[in-house]
Amino acid sequence: MARRSSRKRWLSGLRNTAAALIGLAWLVPLLWMFLSSVSNDADVYRVPPKLWPAWNWGNYARAWAARPWPRYFANTLIIALSVVAFTLVTSILAGFAFALMRFRGSKTLFYVVMSVMMVPQTVLLIPNFILAHTTGLYDTYWIQILPWAASVFGIFLLRQTLSALPTEIFEAAELDGAGPVSMLVRIAAPLAVPSLILIGLNTFMGSWSSFVWPYLMTQNDTVRPIEVGLQAFYGAEGTDWTGLSAAVTFTTLPVVILFFSLQKYFVQGAFSTQGAVQ
Amino acid sequence: MAQLLDPVATRSRSMRSGRPVKRALTSRWAYLFVLPALLVFLVFSIGPTIFAFALSLFNWNYLNAAMSKFVGLKNYVDLVKGTRDPSFWSTMWTSAQFVIPMVVGGTVISLLLALLLSGNSPVLYGVRTAVFLAHVTPFVGVSIVWVWLFNPRYGLVNAATALFGMAPRDWLGDPKTAMFAIVVFSLWHEVGFTLIIFLGGLTTLDKTLSEAAQIDRANKLQEIWYVILPQLRPYTIFVIVISTVFSLQAFTQFFVMTGGGPGFSTATLGFAVYQQAFIYRKTGYAAALAVVLFALTAVLSLLQLRASRNTGR
Repeated sequence: MARRSSRKRWLSGLRNTAAALIGLAWLVPLLWMFLSSVSNDADVYRVPPKLWPAWNWGNYARAWAARPWPRYFANTLIIALSVVAFTLVTSILAGFAFALMRFRGSKTLFYVVMSVMMVPQTVLLIPNFILAHTTGLYDTYWIQILPWAASVFGIFLLRQTLSALPTEIFEAAELDGAGPVSMLVRIAAPLAVPSLILIGLNTFMGSWSSFVWPYLMTQNDTVRPIEVGLQAFYGAEGTDWTGLSAAVTFTTLPVVILFFSLQKYFVQGAFSTQGAVQ
Repeated sequence: MAQLLDPVATRSRSMRSGRPVKRALTSRWAYLFVLPALLVFLVFSIGPTIFAFALSLFNWNYLNAAMSKFVGLKNYVDLVKGTRDPSFWSTMWTSAQFVIPMVVGGTVISLLLALLLSGNSPVLYGVRTAVFLAHVTPFVGVSIVWVWLFNPRYGLVNAATALFGMAPRDWLGDPKTAMFAIVVFSLWHEVGFTLIIFLGGLTTLDKTLSEAAQIDRANKLQEIWYVILPQLRPYTIFVIVISTVFSLQAFTQFFVMTGGGPGFSTATLGFAVYQQAFIYRKTGYAAALAVVLFALTAVLSLLQLRASRNTGR
């Protein structure tokens, strides 16, 4: 018995060690990014590389001055928060209707919504680029907001959430003379808050991380978001590795902070996306 | 909850004298509720998809749309015959070189990691967080970091392989290794997502089956192979489908790290659509490529739907 438990402890020690090594390996690129961002130029161009940095924070100042970062950050927030606001409204409206309301064609319309999931963004690039130019939406916030103002995932998740609610609550509300709008606002929305947070976070991250869409649909820094700005900085200063590392660090850091403060929702979000397919 | 509401429910049921229809929830408001979302989808997804089909039948003039010429299926004929440069078939081969390692590697690695990392110890929790953190980081920034890691002269990757006596390589600049390098980066970025799916799957396992296996003196490997993996089947199918779809559409890492090169060695389908349309201005042909991408995605999604129905999920 004693031998068995010592074997068990040995195995779990081995497992933890293997896991820790993998975890460290996974963090190396991010650590390397940070170390390069506080290194002297000369130390970065050295073989073998010097691992301990000189804590040169000047790289941040140089990178920060090279591009209109505050503008990029503001644009990213304006776009991402607008997309989140629109998506939450369109999702709960449609999710409520599909979950709880009875209307002719509801099944067909739901299939139409679900079929949109099959359309890759890549397919939409060319037609929407032409559309953006002919409608004058090119190089505006709107072309970065409106196409993402509704989400199949959001509608699907809220439909699931709301159809799990006991119908008695709504029957009771109807007796009190509540119409569909007040049912949605007073009953459905408050009960769906966890799902709304999930959708909001997923949408926010998607918008923050998007690159090809804003890259093609805009051309001026006045409306371009952070990822496009970072790519432009890379294109222009491709050899300034310490400056680039600093820029990557300060553009990635907000996302990392958000991740650690809302970790639970990130994990649930990743997990619940599979509901959209199943 | 149900108990709490029961008296109300009973009352309302009796008052409606058996009519199951609720008035407020059958009104025309429903159409108004679905309208905003439908409008967004119609204008920016469904309409443009149809437009993309139409574009693929044209020799599209990007400067002056009115000068575009209807050419019927010519773009598709070019595609099948492989007369464009790079030929469609070489684009598909390039895509396969990315998609297959991503799907096989991604599924195997995330499954093994899930088996290793499921558990309550703080170490395992920390490692799960580290792997998932990589997935959360925005693509452009970490792609740049990996360009630096793969740098032929000063990169950490060459410093590491030198420890094993390997000669330094220009990972991203050599057509023989560029795709491999991008696969390594992409796995680093994507595995966190599929890991979470498998970890979720592991929490749904039927514990009595594993106990039965232990009573039958199955070893851990046998237990994994005969008891755990069959139960994870729907999750595995989902991971395979979603990684295929994601990999087919992958774009940003190619754009930042190689620009589809050297030559066309990393120009996969998702990148080729962009390249043909916005660099070479072959809008019609690019639209035909996009239609192929759409068809592949649709078939995969339907397969997934069917597989999940068959397994009763």
